[in-house]
Amino acid sequence: MTSEQNTHFGFKTVAETEKAKKVAEVFHSVANKYDLMNDVMSAGLHRSWKRFAVSVSGVNPGDKVLDIAGGSGDLSKLFAKKVGPTGQVILTDINASMLGVGRDRMLDAGLNVPAMQCDAEKLPFPDQYFDCVIVAFGLRNMTHKDKALAEMQRVLKVGGRLLVLEFSKVWQPLSKAYDVYSFKLLPIMGKLLAKDADSYQYLAESIRMHPDQETLKQMMVDAGLSKVDYYNLAAGVVALHKGYKT
Amino acid sequence: MFKSFSTHILQHLIAQNTWACSLLQPFAGKSVRVTIAPVHSTLVILEDGSLAMAGETNIPDASINIAPSLLPRLLAKDEAAKLQIEVTGDTHLATALAKVLSHLHWDYEDDLSKLVGDVPANKIGNFARSSAQSLKNASVNFASMLSEYWQEEKPILAKKRHVDQFNHDVDHLRSDVERFEKRLQKLTKAREASTSDAGATPQHQVTDSVK
Repeated sequence: MTSEQNTHFGFKTVAETEKAKKVAEVFHSVANKYDLMNDVMSAGLHRSWKRFAVSVSGVNPGDKVLDIAGGSGDLSKLFAKKVGPTGQVILTDINASMLGVGRDRMLDAGLNVPAMQCDAEKLPFPDQYFDCVIVAFGLRNMTHKDKALAEMQRVLKVGGRLLVLEFSKVWQPLSKAYDVYSFKLLPIMGKLLAKDADSYQYLAESIRMHPDQETLKQMMVDAGLSKVDYYNLAAGVVALHKGYKT
Repeated sequence: MFKSFSTHILQHLIAQNTWACSLLQPFAGKSVRVTIAPVHSTLVILEDGSLAMAGETNIPDASINIAPSLLPRLLAKDEAAKLQIEVTGDTHLATALAKVLSHLHWDYEDDLSKLVGDVPANKIGNFARSSAQSLKNASVNFASMLSEYWQEEKPILAKKRHVDQFNHDVDHLRSDVERFEKRLQKLTKAREASTSDAGATPQHQVTDSVK
């Protein structure tokens, strides 16, 4: 097996073809308790990060928004309110279990948001279709991030925005404490709440393997986006990147 | 957290001042750095015409620099102070943003009404307005009283008419000095001319004798 065919899955090295399968297993396992765990892990901050992402998206009523790796549908719900009845939000996820949770939530909230299972590296949408594309806490699980970013850029209209909300590199003085939290506490919480320590161990490892703020910014520029800027949230635990298609 | 909170406040204010959206929308995607030394922050105009704090690596398209000494005058709505605000870069953008920021109005009664209901919010609003007005009147009265005391009882401040008279005298003296200077120059020139005429004849004589 050549090194080109390998990728990382947390700290492990696996075949590229295996990664999607392994990520799918993780999310099948945590789907039902995903939001509960997110709330516990981030002390509810993930909701405020998502709200912030929506507030800087600049989405207008009537706009078309694509929510990639939208899972439980938090962002789709917020965007659906923002675009109003004349707009369109499409919720997508590669994982059927996560998408099922999101779809049911949209229906329960009385929102007409189509849910579509698809791979972010091969988006089934025409060129220049969306005003805004967002991927929240999903990019790090993708095998070919460059391909996924290029696809997101492709489906954006000129002037459209790509928002990437993702765990990132924490402010250096806090990194020791953050490591203890991620590698000691997080798996314990995963075991207690979701009965799945391994999945949360993967979560901590995948965060460390994800590109830092500047690297991701460069990746977005390489994917053809311009005016890329980022916000550090919670001292860099999470970063929100925003880039324009010009 | 600060950026998130500030963005929330800015967007709330813009939502209450819908006129601002149409003014800002043509500049969507652009950003302006506002500096009131030593504090500065960069605001970015979003596609829906609202405002947000810019991210960590934003390069502003325009800058507005306000000297800290101008702040009290700006708060007192001194029009002349506005002319002293330094604007660089895309001046149309900076001017539009400055206009929006200076005219943003916080409708606190509307916000309060969501918490306590319309009638109590209106009562609280009226009370706040009358209190602010009373405070303003009291401040103006106190300032007048102090200036009167320092002008009449213990004169350490000059009266306006005295300052005007002084300014007039200074202007008068300045014109006198300028007139005198001109006259002196004229006399000096005349003197120099007559001296050079007187010295010219012996020079010719010397030249002739050599020949």
